[in-house]
Amino acid sequence: MMFLRQLRGELKKLFARKRTYIGYVVFLIFEALLLSLWIYVGREQFEDLAKRNFIPVELLSSSLTATYWIMGFSMFLLGSIYFALVAGDIVAKETEDGNMRMVLSRPVSRLRILVLKYCAVIIYTVTFVIFVGLTGYGMALFAMGSEGGLFVWNPEMYILAVYPDRDEAFQRLFTGACFMGLSMCVVTSLGFFFSCLKIKPAAASVMALSVFFIDFVLQNIPFLANHKDVFITFRMANWIYVLQENIPWERIVESYSILMGLCVSLFILGWMVFQSRDFKT
Amino acid sequence: MLKVQNLTKKFAGKDALKGVSFEVDRGEIYGLLGHNGAGKSTTLGIILSMVAAGSGEVFIGDISVRENPQKALRKVGSIFEAPAFYDYMSGWDNLKVLVGLSGRFDRAAAMEVVERVDLSDRIHSKVGAYSHGMRQRLALAQALLPEPEILLLDEPTDGLDPEGIKWFRDFILGLRKERGMTVLFNSHLLSEVEQMCDRVAIIRAGELVYEGAVDELRDDRPGLRLQAKPLRILGEVVSSFGGEKMNGDRWVFPEGTEISDVVRSLIERGAEVNEVTPVRRSLEDVYLEHSSLSKP
Repeated sequence: MMFLRQLRGELKKLFARKRTYIGYVVFLIFEALLLSLWIYVGREQFEDLAKRNFIPVELLSSSLTATYWIMGFSMFLLGSIYFALVAGDIVAKETEDGNMRMVLSRPVSRLRILVLKYCAVIIYTVTFVIFVGLTGYGMALFAMGSEGGLFVWNPEMYILAVYPDRDEAFQRLFTGACFMGLSMCVVTSLGFFFSCLKIKPAAASVMALSVFFIDFVLQNIPFLANHKDVFITFRMANWIYVLQENIPWERIVESYSILMGLCVSLFILGWMVFQSRDFKT
Repeated sequence: MLKVQNLTKKFAGKDALKGVSFEVDRGEIYGLLGHNGAGKSTTLGIILSMVAAGSGEVFIGDISVRENPQKALRKVGSIFEAPAFYDYMSGWDNLKVLVGLSGRFDRAAAMEVVERVDLSDRIHSKVGAYSHGMRQRLALAQALLPEPEILLLDEPTDGLDPEGIKWFRDFILGLRKERGMTVLFNSHLLSEVEQMCDRVAIIRAGELVYEGAVDELRDDRPGLRLQAKPLRILGEVVSSFGGEKMNGDRWVFPEGTEISDVVRSLIERGAEVNEVTPVRRSLEDVYLEHSSLSKP
């Protein structure tokens, strides 16, 4: 009970800050932009693609397909920046501003302080991804109506799937958004880990993004194509398998076990560093 | 109430504390004096378990801070120089978040403390709009929740205007009178320490070089700022009256010495007397004597 009260306090700190909402505002604008691009440019190209694959066009031009497209494009690149920024701030900013001394002077263990902060950024991450999914869907509904199913096409992950039934399509996409939220927790965990070190908040965010983008670039080098499994960003992209007709649960469980293991390891490493630090004026 | 035993600490291989020990009794206001970098804040950091001691031990009540920091810190409220709050939140929300880390947030108790520190009107305003004095009062409010037995104050009056300093001093003295609050007061404002503390310790370069009651520091012996030439005659006359050099051109004489006799003696021996000003040996003199880095 006390933990929940303290977590509420931590979330209050996070969500009372105006800068926390910058990501939400930017994403809404970006989603509107992507949706416009989809409607005025992308739809035509995809309709061609659907026709060539003998898929009824009406399935393609739906709000759910547009949502899938918006989420896929926006989250990995732009989302990672916001998660790294927020998580990079969560410990380092309080240390830099001197708030941490006020917190540490309270009868509460450092581990508990970190657990509260980590839970807060994880909640932020997952809810943010779901927010992007729901607002993207809302905008698409408004612009394109509720008709049509879902068309999924991702050549890099070898996925091509069609869901004509709207309910099943929505369910699949929502589940995909949840898994995507879990994937993004890795970026958050990276930011959190660096935030526990004795560095500036901006440096923590930059370090987290550097690791993320280096991994992404390496993963896309052609001669490393057979070793994609070792890259974090490839494992993170495994959320998309939820949209495959026959869901490869074994593969998904394997990838998310690795990702969750990585998150826990990053938390423990961050805690070890934080625990050994001296906090002084 | 607070027992600090033989604390040592090194930063980057350099000694920051070299075996600092002192005790603060229940209901006592104890001043810790020293230059910037002398080791006062490090001592406070170790007491609050924010800094790991190289060796030594701190007990709050009978609880070891090293072995059970959370239990020990339940008895402690602390205020830092320039307290850092979440500026984008109201004072009330800041209290809720910080006090909530210690356990349940008691609304009625919090309201009472807020009224006591005279912040009721602005407690729901954002802290970013607070003056330094208001921030310090909010810091005091959070330190008093929930009911500490000892207050650790790290340069709490720095940056306050004279009115704010007086308010703060009266508040702390009032707390001691009403609740028997124990206070460790870390400062380099000598007048504050002199007016508030029962005992004082001076830290120099990580070492405790003086400890004693503030009353003992006040010296009732007559003191003089004395400038006369030639210095040889000055020295001889002062010695003949049993005088001792304090610092600079200040001298102190045994009780009962008449200053007029000293001056007359100087003139009779042909000295040219340029200045004679009676002075009292203050806490500042004691502080400067003990904290001077030029001393071994």
